[in-house]
Amino acid sequence: MTEKNTRVGIEVGGTFTDIVAITNGRMRVAKVPSTPASPDVGAINALSKLGIAPASVSELVHGSTVATNAVLERKGARIAMLVTKGTRDVLSLQRHDRKSIYKLQYRKPEPIVARDNIFEVSGRIAADGEIVEPVDEQNDRDLIEKIVRSSDYDVIVICLLNSYVNVAHEILIKDIVRTIDPSFAVICSHEVSREFREYERASTTALAGFVQPVIKGYLNRFAASLAEDGFDGALSVMQSNGGRMPAAAVGDQPITALLSGPAAGVVGAVKAAESMGLRDLITLDMGGTSTDVAMIQNSRPELTAELEIDGLPIRTPVVDIVTVGAGGGSIAWIDDGAMLRVGPRSAGAVPGPASYGRGGTEPTVTDANLVRGSLRAGSLRDQGIDVDEEAALASFAPLSDALSLSNEDMADAVIRVAESNIVRAIQKISTERGNDPRRFTLVAFGGAAAVHAARVAEELNIRNVLVPMNAGVVSAAGLLSSDYVHYTVATQRYRLAVENLATIRGVIDGLKEKARDHLVNEGVSGAPNFEVFLEMRYVGQAFEIPVALNDIDDALTVEAIGRAFAAEHHRIFEFSKPADALAEIVSFRVGARIPAQVVRPMIDRGDDPGPPEQEIELREKGQTLKCRVVRSDHLGAEAESGPLLIEDGTTTILVPSNWTARRDASQHVVLEGGDQ
Amino acid sequence: MTLSDVDHAILNRALIAASHEMGAKLIRSAHSPIVREAQDCSAALTDPQGRVVAQAELTAIQLGSISHTLETCLSRFPADTLTPDDFLINNDPFNGGQHVQDIFLFTPIFHEGQLIGFSASVVHHIDVGGGAPGLNAEARDVFQEGLIFPPTKYSFKRDWNGGPFERMIAANVRLPESTIGDLNAQFAANLIGAKRLTALAEQYGVDKLFAAMAGALDYSERRMRNAIVDLRDGAYTAEAEIEGATADMPTTTIRTQIRISGDQMEITFDGTDEQLKNNLNCPYASTIAAAIACVKSVLTSDDVPFNDGIARAVKVSSPLGSVLNPRPPAAVRARLLASHRVFNSIMIALSEVCPDQVIAEGFDTTTPICLSHQGASGYNIYLEILGGGYGAGAQNDGADGVDCPLSNCANIPIEALEMDYPFMRIENYSLRPGSGGKGRLRGGHGFERSYRMLEDGVLFSTYTDRFNIQPRGLAGGEPGATCSIHVESDGKEIALTSRASRSLKKDDLLVVRTGGGAGYGDPTDRPERLKEADRRLGLA
Repeated sequence: MTEKNTRVGIEVGGTFTDIVAITNGRMRVAKVPSTPASPDVGAINALSKLGIAPASVSELVHGSTVATNAVLERKGARIAMLVTKGTRDVLSLQRHDRKSIYKLQYRKPEPIVARDNIFEVSGRIAADGEIVEPVDEQNDRDLIEKIVRSSDYDVIVICLLNSYVNVAHEILIKDIVRTIDPSFAVICSHEVSREFREYERASTTALAGFVQPVIKGYLNRFAASLAEDGFDGALSVMQSNGGRMPAAAVGDQPITALLSGPAAGVVGAVKAAESMGLRDLITLDMGGTSTDVAMIQNSRPELTAELEIDGLPIRTPVVDIVTVGAGGGSIAWIDDGAMLRVGPRSAGAVPGPASYGRGGTEPTVTDANLVRGSLRAGSLRDQGIDVDEEAALASFAPLSDALSLSNEDMADAVIRVAESNIVRAIQKISTERGNDPRRFTLVAFGGAAAVHAARVAEELNIRNVLVPMNAGVVSAAGLLSSDYVHYTVATQRYRLAVENLATIRGVIDGLKEKARDHLVNEGVSGAPNFEVFLEMRYVGQAFEIPVALNDIDDALTVEAIGRAFAAEHHRIFEFSKPADALAEIVSFRVGARIPAQVVRPMIDRGDDPGPPEQEIELREKGQTLKCRVVRSDHLGAEAESGPLLIEDGTTTILVPSNWTARRDASQHVVLEGGDQ
Repeated sequence: MTLSDVDHAILNRALIAASHEMGAKLIRSAHSPIVREAQDCSAALTDPQGRVVAQAELTAIQLGSISHTLETCLSRFPADTLTPDDFLINNDPFNGGQHVQDIFLFTPIFHEGQLIGFSASVVHHIDVGGGAPGLNAEARDVFQEGLIFPPTKYSFKRDWNGGPFERMIAANVRLPESTIGDLNAQFAANLIGAKRLTALAEQYGVDKLFAAMAGALDYSERRMRNAIVDLRDGAYTAEAEIEGATADMPTTTIRTQIRISGDQMEITFDGTDEQLKNNLNCPYASTIAAAIACVKSVLTSDDVPFNDGIARAVKVSSPLGSVLNPRPPAAVRARLLASHRVFNSIMIALSEVCPDQVIAEGFDTTTPICLSHQGASGYNIYLEILGGGYGAGAQNDGADGVDCPLSNCANIPIEALEMDYPFMRIENYSLRPGSGGKGRLRGGHGFERSYRMLEDGVLFSTYTDRFNIQPRGLAGGEPGATCSIHVESDGKEIALTSRASRSLKKDDLLVVRTGGGAGYGDPTDRPERLKEADRRLGLA
């Protein structure tokens, strides 16, 4: 029998499938091309590339864009949606506003379920939960029978008005479906997102139904082909909340599989930083088409329940990631008002940057780095890209002519504009949320981030930058170190008052129990840590803010909750009301988390000594600088001063002249400085 | 000082980001559903002269004339006499304001003792007093519509937070917690704007910031002029009508003249009908905002940031005493009806020179539904703005069920509405199939929203339009369906007029059907694929 000695994380991205494997404390990484038609093929290829026998794998954590792509390409389940009488158009009316006020040819986001697949059922529940009209079971049974027997649908989705207060009718309708066909897939809105606002809840539920068979089918296929090769370890998948769950549980919570990729990167960055004792972070994940940023306090990524995919709202707790259209492939252009712009249009993987020789001719951020000298042609060879520097230079000529700059200065200008776009994304998650970025460490990963990280940090007055080892595959590493997590949410409104305290405590305890039971049912063992959030507002406001109760959990008093709420309100909105102002709790969110095994592997670099150290010229901020190029494993614990280019096979780090770089005991590269 | 191309690009976007943040926080911290759910509000940053350099793009009618609203304040309280403790307020329809519900609040911003700009915010307040809760459909003059705050300077420390000005407002409105709460949200938004602007001044220096502000204005002006210069020089005219409250009452005509000469456009409204004795009058600021919003929408991509640079290329004026520039004490509450006809007539005039960039007329009629109830615990006032179908364009069907071009209110979710207004329940909120005008591209559909009363003594008020005059199609497209309102009471169906108020009793059903947009192009040219989709979706 093969020894089960290997733990594996496999992250399927749009262009590459990354793998991180740890065998007896030694870590190996690889990248193989993704196979979008059947992503599991790429995943199996990744295992083969490292020569890993599936039978030797004890644990495999998987992240993929399968669910996300199903939505973007509108290739998901055939859904029949059942709604309350009078609300058939909930998905097309949406919120009645326009995302762009001056656009005459405005188009709404395309609903996930078309009007002819939405059916009205009887029964009505009032806002206080009272049943004002019972369900006419016979009538609805006829309708549902037709739907189930028609073979036109894969999934039935139920979203009834005010079901967040009283679930009775949704359960009744679900039972009707089950009595007709016990195996028919059916999802109720109260199971997916028990929060008020019917459009957002209906959208979330419809999306859950839409991706459920896709992600389930994909994981079954993947598990089967792994099993065929002898795999009998634990298979789990990443969720958008930054935790993982057993693959078998995805069918019940398909919505959390959406947009899980960026969350894996955040977890990877958090774990890398934690090994150095850094707990307050801003993550900067820059890839080919976009950049994702997130804020982490005390090693916990901030969560948000407001997310959109393709313009459609999702209400489930996810890692609060802001995405900006600034990646290596973002195109630089001059608009008709003579302003220099970068992105949001991207050359993507195809045609790609002009220098990649795949048909791209427009100048991109990657081309700009090549032209000004902050990226060497040879550094991309590991990823199978032979760079054409002449093509990069040629792509800049039209811009340089228009603004009368040299190509090198033009390229530097493009990079500064791209970096300012990233700076604004970080301000969105920091200053706009009432957090001063200066006390955070910027963690840069993803292929393109490290060359920009120091200058971005400088704009925000951040003095510390961390580039984790193997910065190009941090997401795959994040999979392996992610915790098992489950969140339970309940919309229940209570005034913050002494007479309600016992009830409030009861709700929290009930949710804790529910979350713990859920993990137990999923087959996850261990004692969970809990996170408790109250969504609160002043009486009369409509938008809630999350108040974390982690610090005052044991001594839960009305005053303590009130103080925590006022402090959060003040932090976000710059004002709070006097202590006697009425506040209320609108909903409760409890997370149960069972920590993953801590990974501190040594890296396995093989025998490649790499290129000898050399010197190049770099053009930055109007100056030409002589700049040394070193390999990351030649960097020592002693700080070296910039300007310096550090290459590690998956990324290039730029250390500007007012910065220093060193390699720390955990192998990560630390940049410090930024003083003018 | 001259600014490098890089600094220009970076600072322009930073100013826009700051104003967007103001808007987002205004919505998030406000009290009334009309702000927090419907988002009937706006925010902007200006330079020290009061010119808008960046704005949160929320509600077109509230933007585009903010500098006029501030100007009337600054002419009385010159910028160089202001201190950081001062704020300026204005809702006076005859002094740069719009209707009295839209209260504009301005906060001067200082950096090291120097005035570097103003933050501006405006909110549609749910109640500012006047002759009826929320909306006085019968008002014959502005005094019956609510409190007027003429352009005035107050001290935040002395007059707010329990001070005399705050107490005076609280004592004269029906929902003081909402009105004061929403004003506090405006102060908070202005404070955010001030923080962000001073941070930019600190990082880049005041000189660079001022250069960036000037650059932002020049940039938008340049892009606007680039769009105008592509148009054929000449004079173009069009008209649009607001109907009378009943079919036998006279219509009111907006007469629009556009002159294009090189990269400059001039819009006048000579011959427009005189001001009215009802609430349809459109204050001058609203006329300007509507005109500029239309020109901007037609001629530039939504990528061009709106600021006062746009207005340099488009001169707007309207005759004093007309419905588009009324004298006091005209009632002005329903100004958006005339504003939208300004929008429509400019669009039709421009269809001669750029037929592919315009769209057919939509429902384009802001329809506020006000339902108020006075119970044991005081007033409860519901106000929601309903839109309808958008007009079709040369390449697209009109959007279904959206707010009208000059406002951009979200709906109040049924579940939020029923939680906050227990005196009623929504029975239907659906599209009206077939209400979009036919065409090669069809107009957007209107919708029905019906409200069941659960209590006696609910007061309903509204003003709307297009009960008789349908929106006009373009290039052979057919008109969109009209709007209607009726009440089902004791088994009878009672049709209401387009400007009405009525007391409703328990079990009454109020049914509002908003209009569709008009089509574009000959309906027989509509591709079979699109016709089939309409039939399959039950929308034909």
